[in-house]
Amino acid sequence: MIEPYIELDDVSFAYERCAPVIGGLSLKLYKEQFTAITGPNGSGKTTLGKIMTGILRPQKGCVIICGRDSAGMKLGEIGQRIGYLFQNPGLQIFAPSVQEEISFALGLKGCSKEEIDSRVSRSLRDFDLTNLSDAFPFKLSRGEKQRLAIAAVLVNKPDFLILDEPTTGLDMERRRALSDILLGLKEKGIGMAVISHDRVFIDRLADRTIKMHGGEIVEDRT
Amino acid sequence: MKTGLKGLDPRSKLVLVLCLSTLGVFIQDIGILTAVLCVSIALSTASGSRLFVLIRKFRRILWLFVAIAVIQSIFAPSGRVLVSLGGIKLITAGGLYKGVAMVLRMSIVMVSATIMATSNSREIVQGLVQWKVPYEIAFMVSVAIRFLPLLTDEIKNVVTAVQLRGIELDRIPARQRVKVYSYLIMPVVSGAVIKSRELATTMETRAFRAYPKRTSYMVLTMQRIDYTVIITSLITSILTLILYIKC
Ligand SMILES: Nc1ncnc2c1ncn2[C@@H]1O[C@H](COP(=O)(O)OP(=O)(O)O)[C@@H](O)[C@H]1O
Ligand SMILES: [Mg+2]
Repeated sequence: MIEPYIELDDVSFAYERCAPVIGGLSLKLYKEQFTAITGPNGSGKTTLGKIMTGILRPQKGCVIICGRDSAGMKLGEIGQRIGYLFQNPGLQIFAPSVQEEISFALGLKGCSKEEIDSRVSRSLRDFDLTNLSDAFPFKLSRGEKQRLAIAAVLVNKPDFLILDEPTTGLDMERRRALSDILLGLKEKGIGMAVISHDRVFIDRLADRTIKMHGGEIVEDRT
Repeated sequence: MKTGLKGLDPRSKLVLVLCLSTLGVFIQDIGILTAVLCVSIALSTASGSRLFVLIRKFRRILWLFVAIAVIQSIFAPSGRVLVSLGGIKLITAGGLYKGVAMVLRMSIVMVSATIMATSNSREIVQGLVQWKVPYEIAFMVSVAIRFLPLLTDEIKNVVTAVQLRGIELDRIPARQRVKVYSYLIMPVVSGAVIKSRELATTMETRAFRAYPKRTSYMVLTMQRIDYTVIITSLITSILTLILYIKC
């Protein structure tokens, strides 16, 4: 079969001075699949997502991204390949305006002015943020923050996306819009792992469903 | 039962910390400042603070201290010129001396503050209240202490989030760097403002200040060691200051 994009090999993780949250977990995620990760609260989904993106480093086992052991990769390097949406979108918003939040990473990477402008206005349109483009991001509502955070992740064109409960705080219409956008990305060949409880959302998009319980995978259905 | 400095009453710790930081602020002499810093470190460790863990955690921003020393020395030049650039006196002997003193002073204040952090915030409020400090003020102090670790968490989050956008922090061109640092401060400040507003509303809804007098479940009592610590630290620091001013 094809190479996995992210591979976890016998990974164990415990938070500082706490009991282990994830014990000896192995998993292969493919770019060609849309993977949904479900499970009750506290089953370790967020922790798993953070391990996959290198925010948390496992005490045992290794995480292989694109065939390279991620232990030797800096967070910035991983971030160029994988886009990650925090469960709490407030944590990843830091610029003084909505527009700048989306554009600043492009500017630092040396994109041209025209390119930035077109990508930003496209992204504002996709996420229905155009009339908020000069707003102060900290004052946005939960759902607006969520959309902004997703827009800011997607504008960097990552190869693989890990989204932690992306539909939380979105109304029905916005959920639909988001799943349309994700379907479009899937067709473009971008790999995705989405943590979600939203049945409708998952059923529409997922090729593979992983169910977690107590830090272990209890079900893996393709 | 805790023994020695570990079981000190929060009020004795407060006096100790105030004495140490007062010395740190008033004294200019590098030799004495170093001595005060050593004493602070010794007392902080003895009182059971996690000083070295903290230093290890903050080792990344230690360069900031060096930067402060250099900036100090640029803006307050005096004495022999050590390094100059195109006629501008960059580092001078007098400026460097002031810079080092500044760094020592900041270290003393921070190290002695870790002594305070070994009491939980509830104890500190109670200590202040029993000293007849109005409860509102005591409560504000405790909130400040309580929220500090959250602020450092927040900075860590933003650093992570910035990197996850595919930006390698050590490869940012110097011109852009300031902007990225401003990003780190922004959410922390506005987060703090928002949180404090929410806290104020919550307190109102729970009828904070509805009654003028409050009864405390917890009552602190001073032990002999507390009086010893208070008296010793007051006398030692006053003597040090007098000697310092006279000589
Ligand atoms: N920063 C942390 N420190 C200690 N324990 C944590 C931390 N974050 C999460 N946990 C614990 O790890 C377990 C899994 O949490 P999490 O991965 O967030 O679950 P989920 O996202 O599936 O709801 C929970 O029991 C939680 O209490
Ligand atoms: Mg979670």
